[in-house]
Amino acid sequence: MRRLILARLIDLLTVLFGVSIIVFLMIRLIPGDAVQIMLGANTEITPERLAALYHRLGIDRPILEQYFLWLAGVLQGDLGRSVWTGAPVAEEIIARIGVTAELMATSLTLAVVLAIPAGCLMAYVRRSAGDYAIRLVTIAGITVPSFWLGIVLIYVFYNLAPNFQAVGYVPFRDDPVGNLSRLLLPTIALSLPILAALSRILRTAMLDALGQDYVRTARGKGVSEAGVVFRHALRNALIPFVTAVGIIAGYLFGGTIVVEQVFALPGLGRLIIGAIAERNYPLIQAAILLVTSGFVVINFLVDLLYAAIDPRVQGE
Amino acid sequence: MRVSLRKAVLAIALAAAPLGASAQTLEIATDASPSGLDPHVATAFATILVNGNLYEGLTAIDKDLRVVPSLAESWSVSPDQLTYTFKLRAGVIFHDGQTMTAKDVTASIDRVLDKATGSPIASRFNMIASSAADASGFVIKLTEPSAPFLAQLSGLAILPATHGDLARTAVGTGPFKLVEWVPDTYLRLAKHDQYWEKGLPKLAALKINIVPEASTRQVGIASGTYHMIPTLDAQTALTLKGNANVRLIQAQDLAYTLIGLNVSKPPFDNAKVREAVNVAIDRGKVVQAAYFGQGVAGGPLSPALTDWATPVDKFSCYKPDAAKAKALLKDAGIAGELAVTINVLGSIQVVKDVAQVVQAELNQAGFKASLNVQEQGKFIQDWRNSAFEAFASTNGGNVDPDDYLNRTFRTGGSTNVFKYSNAGLDKLLDDGRRTTDKAQRQKIYTEAQQVLACQGPISHVAYGTLFTAVRSNVKGYELIATRSTRYLRETSLDK
Repeated sequence: MRRLILARLIDLLTVLFGVSIIVFLMIRLIPGDAVQIMLGANTEITPERLAALYHRLGIDRPILEQYFLWLAGVLQGDLGRSVWTGAPVAEEIIARIGVTAELMATSLTLAVVLAIPAGCLMAYVRRSAGDYAIRLVTIAGITVPSFWLGIVLIYVFYNLAPNFQAVGYVPFRDDPVGNLSRLLLPTIALSLPILAALSRILRTAMLDALGQDYVRTARGKGVSEAGVVFRHALRNALIPFVTAVGIIAGYLFGGTIVVEQVFALPGLGRLIIGAIAERNYPLIQAAILLVTSGFVVINFLVDLLYAAIDPRVQGE
Repeated sequence: MRVSLRKAVLAIALAAAPLGASAQTLEIATDASPSGLDPHVATAFATILVNGNLYEGLTAIDKDLRVVPSLAESWSVSPDQLTYTFKLRAGVIFHDGQTMTAKDVTASIDRVLDKATGSPIASRFNMIASSAADASGFVIKLTEPSAPFLAQLSGLAILPATHGDLARTAVGTGPFKLVEWVPDTYLRLAKHDQYWEKGLPKLAALKINIVPEASTRQVGIASGTYHMIPTLDAQTALTLKGNANVRLIQAQDLAYTLIGLNVSKPPFDNAKVREAVNVAIDRGKVVQAAYFGQGVAGGPLSPALTDWATPVDKFSCYKPDAAKAKALLKDAGIAGELAVTINVLGSIQVVKDVAQVVQAELNQAGFKASLNVQEQGKFIQDWRNSAFEAFASTNGGNVDPDDYLNRTFRTGGSTNVFKYSNAGLDKLLDDGRRTTDKAQRQKIYTEAQQVLACQGPISHVAYGTLFTAVRSNVKGYELIATRSTRYLRETSLDK
């Protein structure tokens, strides 16, 4: 186990180093830069004044030099400063991470809480008209894009309840009810595709478990069908389900970017989109490194969980 | 599990920003976050929306597009038009508590002109020889007469001579001061208690929310989350028209959509080909399709500038005629269809819509146009490097014709990315700048518009209607064609 943890940690650091180089180079390969964006189109400026602006923002140095300066800073715990506000990017990221964490937590919770009964129900009524109907709905749920769903939800809710505060954001601390009411629609938009995917995964795992010998034994002992499904099969089916939840949690961030943009939530996703649009290099680098770390760490935890559940993994 | 839950709660608590919501905070929803707030450098629309409330110039532009006093109470101009003497307003206090003096005004002018600042507006003030206070008042001496000078001074923000880093702080004399800026999320401005104009501003605070999705802004104002959307696209405006709680204010926009043509290389180095583009475009159709009918066709100057703009029926090439366009191409020696690529500024919907209509019209008139929709950073880079055959974009307009015409069309002009050069036009523009007699200037600019309308490097397509949406309890706000939100100082909220 200790060897596994050490190996994974080395993997983590290698991935982060690779990602730092890729991100650094990629965002500098995008045409246009912070100065051009700040000036906007159709702005008059002489070449020498343009050069002065590059110098002021510190992006007139060779790329390699910029990279090593930045890396040296990161190793000392300094992620750099925002091009526009001059504030440390770590501060800007910390200020935004809570919104994204809250949205991810509510969406994942809602999806998991609903996916378990839905998946069991689908397995319980397997191959009936009801099963096909639910499967059709879940396929739709997986394929509908979140941004479209978000916009539809905004309009539908507005027509149902014109005074419902559905967009924008207020911190939980200031107004818990306002905070949760504004998170309702984004949570639905983000959780629906996950709910659909998880319930299908659970259905498959349940059907697999229902074919096992111990289920036949239970049936033979006269346990009711509902008891077989919910008491005996569910516990075993939850193992692949938990793994899937872990993997989806890692991918969930991609969905939050879109949902935050549609609902004007001040989360990390929008911070990254804004930073890319404005070529705010230090901020993009730090935020993407953070997200990558999160993703790798979640995968790492899933691996450990797996190893804990299934001793065969440790030997591999 | 318990540990991670505690962490999540902690993160949420950290994300909570202090909010002192009051009934007198005006919630504004806008689509783009400002890129930097340095008033001498950042000149994009998103920045102007914010800075117009934080900073002021010696002069200002009112809703009728007239130059009015601001930090200068009054002024006089010498007969030779080279010396401007201003009476600076007394008792003007900056947001940091310092009192404004002549030294601050001089320092602000110097900062704009300083090459290290990198100010894009510097070229408007190159004719300033000196600025200092003497017994008669604050005196600015020019090297040559400049008719638009007073109008341009409205855009030169006065800062204290000693100030912090303007990327992080804002220190102006405006009616509101910056309290908090969360990039891409919101800016919070609070009333400047020591504002020089007594009784203003009427509101306690402004919160400018950055809301990228048009439909979210629309529902936000309809449901009362936001009180104001400063600029609306025509489609959203028409949707909100029937809403009893929302009032629409509209004005003729100074900004316009255009097709820019690079005259430094074929095919647009040929004036006949440029004219063919103008003749091919059916501007009435563009207004219907891309602006939902909420706009007008226009020439080189916005119809909002009633003192200056030539009516479009005076331009021969504004009558759409595909056969004539084909004949012009033939005259220019072009056999078969003329393939052109139009770079399109992808970040603005109306530009994309206009480009598609124009493309269809060009393709019926002997062209084979293809659209290259670009992300804004790439578009701006290509624009600045003249790396285009043609482009579709939008430009903001100016109050004085000299401002726009000179930098755009004069040989070597600072935004003349088209590489256009016309000695006759240069002379007209120089005369227009030096002459301060209005009737004389009107004559000059009428002639300049005739030169530019059909064979210039820009096909001016349409001027939209500018819409602002406010909740019905918002009082006192006026819309200015420049898109300045100056009248927020007069705005109040009824309960």
